[in-house]
Amino acid sequence: MEKDFIIAGFGGQGVLLAGEVLANGFMIDNKNVTWYPSYGAEMRGGTVNCTVVMSDEDVSAVQKSSADFIIVLNQASFDKYVSWVKKGGSIIVNSSLAIIKKTREDINYIFVPITKLAQEKLGNIKMSNILALGTLSRVSKLISLSTLEKALHNVIPPHRANLIPKNIEALKLGYEYDLLKV
Amino acid sequence: MATQVFKIPDSFKKDAKYTFCPGCDHGVAVRLVGECLSELGLTENTIAACAIGCSVTIYDFLNIDALEAPHGRAMAEATGIKRACPDKFVFTYQGDGDFASIGWAESMHAALRGEKISAICINNTTYGMTGGQLGPTTLVGQVTTTSPTGRNLEYYGYPIKIAEHIAMCDGTAYSARVSLDTVANIKKAKQAIKKAFEVQIKGLGLGFVEILSTCPTNWKMTPQKAHERVQNEMIKVFKPGVYKDITVEN
Amino acid sequence: MTATITDKKVLMKGNYAIANAAVLAGCQCYFGYPITPQSEIGEFMSGKMQELGRAYVSAESELAAINMTIGACSTGVKAMTSSSSCAVSLMQEGLSYATSDQLPVVLVSVMRGGPGLGNIYPSQGDYFQATRGGGNGDYKLIVLAPSTVQECADLTYKAFYLAQKYRNPTVLLADGLLGQMMEPVEFKPYPYPEIDNSQWKLSGAKGREARIIRSYAPLADNQCVYLEKLFEKYKLIEEQETQWEEIGTEDADIVLVSFGSTARNVKTATKICRQKGLKVGILRPITLFPFPTKRLKELAQSVKMFVSVEVNMGQMVQDVRLAVNGKAPVELIHKGVGVPPAPEEIVKQIEELM
Repeated sequence: MEKDFIIAGFGGQGVLLAGEVLANGFMIDNKNVTWYPSYGAEMRGGTVNCTVVMSDEDVSAVQKSSADFIIVLNQASFDKYVSWVKKGGSIIVNSSLAIIKKTREDINYIFVPITKLAQEKLGNIKMSNILALGTLSRVSKLISLSTLEKALHNVIPPHRANLIPKNIEALKLGYEYDLLKV
Repeated sequence: MATQVFKIPDSFKKDAKYTFCPGCDHGVAVRLVGECLSELGLTENTIAACAIGCSVTIYDFLNIDALEAPHGRAMAEATGIKRACPDKFVFTYQGDGDFASIGWAESMHAALRGEKISAICINNTTYGMTGGQLGPTTLVGQVTTTSPTGRNLEYYGYPIKIAEHIAMCDGTAYSARVSLDTVANIKKAKQAIKKAFEVQIKGLGLGFVEILSTCPTNWKMTPQKAHERVQNEMIKVFKPGVYKDITVEN
Repeated sequence: MTATITDKKVLMKGNYAIANAAVLAGCQCYFGYPITPQSEIGEFMSGKMQELGRAYVSAESELAAINMTIGACSTGVKAMTSSSSCAVSLMQEGLSYATSDQLPVVLVSVMRGGPGLGNIYPSQGDYFQATRGGGNGDYKLIVLAPSTVQECADLTYKAFYLAQKYRNPTVLLADGLLGQMMEPVEFKPYPYPEIDNSQWKLSGAKGREARIIRSYAPLADNQCVYLEKLFEKYKLIEEQETQWEEIGTEDADIVLVSFGSTARNVKTATKICRQKGLKVGILRPITLFPFPTKRLKELAQSVKMFVSVEVNMGQMVQDVRLAVNGKAPVELIHKGVGVPPAPEEIVKQIEELM
């Protein structure tokens, strides 16, 4: 089994870090996994994305032109990546920064006001990326919250360890968000 | 009772054959370097980075470990040697073309980093080994094989004043220019080389000496005329002196 | 980003895996100048080497960096530099000198697009630069080509070992994809024996004759003898160090030849072909010099077609053709620059070739 994930958004939204947490999670679950970033000449701004491939066998291609699960944190990414979702796959859309609109019948749309939740419930929009992973855990059923919690410990450096509880809160918030609301 | 008035320093190979042209100051300069190595007890602890050009043959005379660098790269290789072995004495012996033209970036940056190495640069206003072409230090008006009507500013620009530039670098501990045209000046030159070695030993930074030298063959002069040229022409443009010495309080 | 020897897997970029392995291999000196997509190596080294009391110099150019590495290697310590494509071009002079000086320089070359400035995307366009060399004269570099992040680490160890063992500059030839991607990696202790270099290193002429490390050979006859010796060494390296991976070649009609990151996709393409009933295998050279010429020659007795798959305009294909020597057709599937063609795309092109 191989599953492909893409996370996309503005530079600065923590897209690459979210991918790194996800990839660490799969590693903790003893899966083969690769993480591959889009990288350009720009250091900041513009859109950024990363691809995470999880597999029971060796991972070959690390960059994909389609994925089973895609998280888009802004409108530009939503516009670009909605056509990349595999048939029967899911797209998690940050409805705080993208208009709720369904253009395909063969995929699942999950609209979550990610930025708004992060701001209102956690007081920090920088938690949006990790919150989205909580939702992904719920939607994909491929990685547990407890694994993602462990992954956070791998990724967040020791001198930033104080941020871990808040990130765990974000994971839970994303996981528990009532998906039927929209 | 017999008194010994001359001896070959221990840093010299006993079987070395003299290969420089008659009247070339390289012979004197190498001799001074060898004397300083011996007197400071450095011979057995030295690794030299040698350059390309006539200067490369220093390893034929001195009984020291040496690495032959590509043209212009002696300061980079000396940096590598010193960083790998901080307890070794490391010096370069380069011509002006090697040090101040093709290797200028390496020279300046070694000085800026304050590498604890010593560099000796022979300035003879020409590329000697390749047959007397215009180099970075060729004097205005000087005829060379690539400035057949003399160095004019419009075509060739200005000669470089090496010791002054190296002195401007914050990592330089000592920078001086000397000449070998008189016995008195040879003595001064030796003092300068010794100083450039000592600042390394003390870990103060780069020690640098630019030595004004003759190239009778390419200048097409007798040794005597060549030394007169050093006195009458070179010294006027390249003024001898100590341009920086952080061991002396101002 | 810190890592040490660990039996636990860590998720890491290829660039960091290389840097960490170099530290564990006992690299005492790092010299480098930044260039995408390998800057993480220098960044990691700048902190780690200082922390360990080893040497790090932010060199003024790649020209200086390779020569600093030569200087450090001449004293017998393990030293390295790293760079990418257009900047590795600047190091060619130094690499030629280092082969002539017989110094164990380790160069990590993380390929990006070319020629010229090119772009920062992955590429295999420097196969020739590494295996043929851009420096002057007759010489060879040992070239190792990792395909996974784990191999980035393992072959970094090996690069230091082979460089020391044969006193020859050794290149770890990765690419932007391997440098930037993350994969789980384990760091075991440096597995190779230390090589005695007391007979040649520069350490000051104390109690022995002075040593000169040089490439200047004024007498043509001596240079002839020297070159023969150098090439005897290369022959020995070919006999003893050629390394490759082979899957499904036993009964293959078609053998795909691919190295580095591209080989990942080619492996999957091979699997898809097998599922379709096509007898396709893969040979992945791990050492590009020495190249698995002998093995390809053997396979050419039975294989109906070879296909070299590369991200460049067709470079390794020349070595495959030399090895196969007309015994079977040798085709090329390639892409100029960027991430390797997808497995499905490779399969499609194989079917077109049949």
